[in-house]
Amino acid sequence: MMGAIVAQLIGLFVDDEFLATAILAAVAVAGALALSAAAPAWVAGLLLTLALPAALAASVVRSAWRASRETTGG
Amino acid sequence: MTNLTTIVSVAGASFAASFVEAVEALTIVLAVGLARGWRPALTGAAAALAALALIVAALGPLLGAIPIRALQFIVGVLLLMFGLRWLRKAILRTIGVIALHDEDAAFQRETRELTAAERRQARGLDWIAGVTAFKAVLLEGIEVVFIVIAVGAARGLLGLASVGALAACVLVTVIGAAIHRPLARVPENALKFAVGVMLSAFGLFWTGESLGVDWPGGDAAILAFAALFLGVAAVLVVLLKPQLAEHA
Repeated sequence: MMGAIVAQLIGLFVDDEFLATAILAAVAVAGALALSAAAPAWVAGLLLTLALPAALAASVVRSAWRASRETTGG
Repeated sequence: MTNLTTIVSVAGASFAASFVEAVEALTIVLAVGLARGWRPALTGAAAALAALALIVAALGPLLGAIPIRALQFIVGVLLLMFGLRWLRKAILRTIGVIALHDEDAAFQRETRELTAAERRQARGLDWIAGVTAFKAVLLEGIEVVFIVIAVGAARGLLGLASVGALAACVLVTVIGAAIHRPLARVPENALKFAVGVMLSAFGLFWTGESLGVDWPGGDAAILAFAALFLGVAAVLVVLLKPQLAEHA
């Protein structure tokens, strides 16, 4: 039972590996920019603001495309 | 500084998210109670609530020990993963890629499984039923605890977030106790859509703030981010739904 509970807990945060990886990558790049002072902090903010909705859109489009291919048998 | 926008956002997000989780837990507890009797259902649910209280008691003091920037970062990233996952699933349900969550169907499924277990083994069935109720309440409860911590801790509004969550859980319990049926008419996907938008907005705000971003408008930026995520989600629904309907 504990294994099932742990698996479900992980599933609360990770459902689509693509989306989870994209979120972590965006945060990592924004964090690296902000902490290294390579760019002003607002650049990290702008990056997050653009990258996260884009990651969501890409994840949804991928799933929709996959579903559509399965429906048409392609 | 805490303004009205933050207070309403924190309490509202906590209430709506906890409402959805409580509805899902109620469905399983009702199925167990009606299929196997109220003793295992209520014992399982009570044991889960006790376990949750222990988890909160153990983790609560730790929160105060974490520096606020680190807490904002951890909570922000977890909220992004949790919120965007909810929003993604809500969009996919709206456009018909995955089936809508149906409380009636979940109730029937759980009842069927308990009845099948009854045929296989009569002894120890109360134990299975109790564990089923325990697992449902514990898992949904952990989500509620996470949501309360996530939306409340980074701004020192844990009390307010807890009140929102508690109000939702009490409301669902009272309605469930009164009607003895799953709350199938709750517009669960619309609620999940709204909660996904709000949690993602909180996640973006706090992740940025933890990295030193001074968001224009302060806390009001949370509403701007909510509008951004809602806009992206709406565009995806408008563009993808007709295409998928064509292929169906």
